[in-house]
Amino acid sequence: MTNSHAPLLETRQLELAYGAFKAVGGVDLRIHSGTIHTVIGPNGAGKTSLFHCLTGERRPTNGRILLDGRDITRQPAHGRVGLGMARSFQITSLFQELSVHENLRLAAQGVDGWKALNFWQRLDTRKRHIDTADEVLERLNLTERAGIPAGELSHGQQRILEVGMAICARPKLLLLDEPTSGMGIDDIPTMTRLIGELGKDHSILLIEHNMSIVMSISDTITVMNRGQVLVEGTPDSVRNDQRVREAYLGEAA
Amino acid sequence: MDTKTAAVASSAKRNGAAPLARPGRARWAPGTTLAMFGVVILLPVVLPSATLATEILIFAMAALACNLLLGYTGLLSFGQAIFFGAGAYCSALGMLHWQLGLFSALLLALSVGAVLALLVGLLCIRRKGIYFVMLTLALTQMAYFLAYTLSDWTGGDNGLLGVPRPPIALGGTTFVSLASPLAFYGLVAVLFAVIYIMARRITSSPFGSTLLAIRENEARAAALGYDIRLFKIMVFVLSGAITALAGALYAMLLNFAPLSNIELLMSEQILIMTIIGGTGSLFGSLLGAGSIVLLGDILSAIWPRWMLLLGVALIAVVIFMRGGLWGGLTSLLQRARRAASHDKEA
Repeated sequence: MTNSHAPLLETRQLELAYGAFKAVGGVDLRIHSGTIHTVIGPNGAGKTSLFHCLTGERRPTNGRILLDGRDITRQPAHGRVGLGMARSFQITSLFQELSVHENLRLAAQGVDGWKALNFWQRLDTRKRHIDTADEVLERLNLTERAGIPAGELSHGQQRILEVGMAICARPKLLLLDEPTSGMGIDDIPTMTRLIGELGKDHSILLIEHNMSIVMSISDTITVMNRGQVLVEGTPDSVRNDQRVREAYLGEAA
Repeated sequence: MDTKTAAVASSAKRNGAAPLARPGRARWAPGTTLAMFGVVILLPVVLPSATLATEILIFAMAALACNLLLGYTGLLSFGQAIFFGAGAYCSALGMLHWQLGLFSALLLALSVGAVLALLVGLLCIRRKGIYFVMLTLALTQMAYFLAYTLSDWTGGDNGLLGVPRPPIALGGTTFVSLASPLAFYGLVAVLFAVIYIMARRITSSPFGSTLLAIRENEARAAALGYDIRLFKIMVFVLSGAITALAGALYAMLLNFAPLSNIELLMSEQILIMTIIGGTGSLFGSLLGAGSIVLLGDILSAIWPRWMLLLGVALIAVVIFMRGGLWGGLTSLLQRARRAASHDKEA
């Protein structure tokens, strides 16, 4: 599916340094529209630091980030949502006391940015956000749970909701940070199916540890090691790459 | 079924009938605005003096404003006395030196409160959690010593004396004199009701729902696209303006603006009323202010060390009533309702 058109998201010599240590040391990443692009790598490879730069949580110390050709390197996290990026969290981050439906509705409302500064309108005027929340509920299979506080969902369902909140913004690019982290073995196929389905109408950047998921749903895989891109390619080419094996074996040893 | 799934199942049953949950917690009650009107009308009838009733509503206004910060946005601000005191001083000075009328004086208080809250907000929200609290504390101390030092203006320790209570007038024609306690109560009651209804409307708007989101999980709210700082500053301005209005009304009630208006103790008192009443419930603020002002009135007549008893009451509410008086009241009502439906089934 990889094409030669301009990438949806591009990083140029992206660098995040903590003092002398470069967590991300000059990464060039090109994520193409309509693909599921996964970043893997052993612990400490810099995946999460890279992710933080992309979401706007951390300001890179060098390099640029382009979304649809537009420089977003200095955009704050909240400003990137309106431009078409949405994210999920590795550690479930919901509005625990608010209902499942309200979690999704807030997610749909957030993309409006300034318009959420509406003091005077009531619930019914926010029909569009409610409709989006209803649609996503259906898609996540959580309609029956709509009214209960998000904190009372099972752990697996909370992980599903976590990803669901990211799609409420109808983003061009979905950034998913280890969506299966902490999930029980029984819930993982549901998540895999969900991500695969989302891949049909979203571009996805995925950070994931679970290799069976990575290999089964990715279009492109970037392997990072020590803050740099080690290998990039299709699942098959990455699976058989000697350098990748060494990087992972090195971790095990 | 393990305990967790059991809990989920039971709560699903509890909420099962409402697929479209209201924003905020499930305990939104449509009757509270009516109840507020009931209380406002009954207060001067039930209480021995209209002055006491007026004091309750003034503090309820301040507690409500504090609640917007604490209950809805999760911001614990010790800065409320700055706005309360500034509202009192500015309206009083405006009336004394510029012969401002009633509404111009109140408008002045509102705007001064809003501007001060903007400045305090801009500074304090740069930090979170305990550091935010410390900043509001420090600013209140500074405001207190500023007021103490500027004694030519504020009267320092003696307070600002001779604050007038202008009549409701328009273009030189006096409509209603507010000299009688009951007439002044009427004005305060109308203002309180207006602010209550406005606050109710704001808290159930997209803006209000976003405040709850910030209270629940700031990082997530930011990731969803909300500019957290902007929302916090807006709610600060709103809270500061309302608190300053309450301060101005308090000065008119007492005909006097004491230095204690701008003391840290005032911030604490407003916070205690908010917490005892129930954070996150506007009606709770009325309950909280009412009970503290009344308790103070009754206990101080019996024993000069009444604050000690107030402390005991506060501890009791915090330990035994999660959600304050309002939370306790609603859970009692729920229990009663459940018992009633049980009887019907049996």
